[in-house]
Amino acid sequence: MSENQNINYLNHPKGIMSWLLTLDHKRIGLMYLFSGIIFFLIGGLLALGMRLELAAPGNDFVSNDTYNSMYTLHGAIMIFLFIIPAIPGALGNILLPLMVGAKDVAFPRLNLASFYIYSFGALFAIYTIVNGGVDTGWTFYTPYSTQSTSNVVPMTLGIFIIGFSSILTGLNFIATVHKMRVPGLTWYKLPLFVWALYGTSLVQITATPVLAITMVLLILERFLGIGIFDPALGGDPVLYQHFFWFYSHPAVYIMILPAFGIISEIIPVHSRKKVWGYKFIAYSTLSIAFIGFLVWGHHMFTSGQSVFSQIVFSFITYFVGIPTGVKIFSWILTMYKGQVSFTTPMIYALAFLFLFTIGGLTGIFLGAVALDIHLHDTYFVVAHFHYVMQGGTIIAFLAGLHHWWPKSFGKMYNQKIASLCALGVFIGFNGTFFPQFLLGLRGMPRRYATYSDQFSELHTYSTFWSTILGLSIFIAILNLMWSLRKSNKLDPGSNPWGALTMEWTHTSSPPHPHNFESDPVFTNGPYDYDKVIVEPTLKK
Amino acid sequence: MSNEHHITPLRTYLIIAGSLLFLTGVTVWVSYIDLGSFNIILAMAVATLKATLVVLFFMHLLWDDKKNLVIFVMSLMFLGIFITFTLLDTGFRGGINPEVKTAIKSKASFYDNLPLTDTHGNPVESHEDHHEGEDDSHH
Repeated sequence: MSENQNINYLNHPKGIMSWLLTLDHKRIGLMYLFSGIIFFLIGGLLALGMRLELAAPGNDFVSNDTYNSMYTLHGAIMIFLFIIPAIPGALGNILLPLMVGAKDVAFPRLNLASFYIYSFGALFAIYTIVNGGVDTGWTFYTPYSTQSTSNVVPMTLGIFIIGFSSILTGLNFIATVHKMRVPGLTWYKLPLFVWALYGTSLVQITATPVLAITMVLLILERFLGIGIFDPALGGDPVLYQHFFWFYSHPAVYIMILPAFGIISEIIPVHSRKKVWGYKFIAYSTLSIAFIGFLVWGHHMFTSGQSVFSQIVFSFITYFVGIPTGVKIFSWILTMYKGQVSFTTPMIYALAFLFLFTIGGLTGIFLGAVALDIHLHDTYFVVAHFHYVMQGGTIIAFLAGLHHWWPKSFGKMYNQKIASLCALGVFIGFNGTFFPQFLLGLRGMPRRYATYSDQFSELHTYSTFWSTILGLSIFIAILNLMWSLRKSNKLDPGSNPWGALTMEWTHTSSPPHPHNFESDPVFTNGPYDYDKVIVEPTLKK
Repeated sequence: MSNEHHITPLRTYLIIAGSLLFLTGVTVWVSYIDLGSFNIILAMAVATLKATLVVLFFMHLLWDDKKNLVIFVMSLMFLGIFITFTLLDTGFRGGINPEVKTAIKSKASFYDNLPLTDTHGNPVESHEDHHEGEDDSHH
């Protein structure tokens, strides 16, 4: 490596202010990354606390009220402060301009602003935690949320503010993809992660304002007594659920689409093979984004919603399974006859295929009205969405983190420890959540701090494995952080995995402050392993 | 590329501004006439017409790149999806339990405080229309 490559975005310019006021998308991405990881750890500790309480029947560890606060904060923090901002805000910010060959995102100042809006909203969430929590559940359902004396207003205000950060990031990404692509990089040559971020951004822009409206209506009803959701004032409590899920169901796709994008990047690279069905994957992203808007009523099958709309929503819900299935089969066919290597990112990606498929299929169960009426608000639902959110999104996030860590920092983590942790996460995750499917089928309701004795065996089992899961994730993140210490000499070179997307082939690791030392020239498609020979620079 | 700025004659602006003021007057005027369930439809129709005028002329969407029009219409489409599907719920709530058919008051509370009038705006002693579900509980 030559001397001038020592100038990179991490060390130039120097000083704390150069970070706080940076317009560099990579630095903003890192700030998102570290704040996201902090909230991930807080949310994770809350989850472990809940599992500890549920290890045995009775209130041994926390009171009922504390438990209510714990699950509400766990859900709200994980979703609004970690999962939704983490992949687009962190990995998306770092990678999107590099992948399209741009010097930065389209609106760098807006990008910094959206990080500060996120931080400002996060302050409200922290205030809520310090001030005694909130006990409504992360969905803030009326009528309870308009009556609860806990911190409903600060928490919803925080979510309202964070929503704007989400909208601005989406806007920025759409403009970047449209206007900043390097000449020659046409839509069908874009890396699939870019397609995924594009689909995500569309959903962020169109759905998030509805969340903001919902939160404002809730606050208006609490403070001014305007009847929106309270029947005594002329409102309709079920209307709240319509509002909430019109955002929050598409938000599920804000959470999972970037994860699909990461997996679409990792599998071809670590299988040394051109991605199978590029256009199918790209268009399935857009169709998931669209169909995602038409299915929100499947969260409301027991809410008193009319039977007619239950049938309509149930029917449309099945359609989401089609583009999702298209993706799963495309990834499997990409690996077929490829040179699959079991690197850490690939182990996570394989775990993703397994876990997300289970999560998706159980979603089809829940989309059937007749079955959902029995399973609604049981641990079956809890297990289902953890298979999708953690088994899907967080595993993909960890996969992406391990895949692009050498790109972001120019350092390689200890791969043995990382791979062991990946296995630990996979096994611990199944051990924790598979018993919850069984609990749900046997009628264990969610959101209770205690339970009758018949459920205790499965709960104990789930708690045991949750410690393995928590420990594995903690060590995996520690292992990544450990690689950053100064004495770590292991240099991964610029292209450790031998990838063909522009962020690997056209710039050093870590990248130059302006991304590329000279104007990049687009040479090859992102998955042309059949045409271009590229060797991984990482020594085994 | 049609990046040129369209210059709108002052006359057009004044006509549009006049129509908006007129339509505001219409909104206020019809609010004093109780048309039952048509109250909301009429109010929204006038408001939509006004918003369309503002968007087309004041915000220059009429002369703008048609892509922007497509995006704008798309946002209306999402609004349409939201309202249609929600009405599929509220409109068919009585499917199984007819006695809870009217979950939402058909008129805004605003009308409770108005002096009672008939459809022509003349004062009357009492309302004739019967709110389904409201009085049933007394029997």
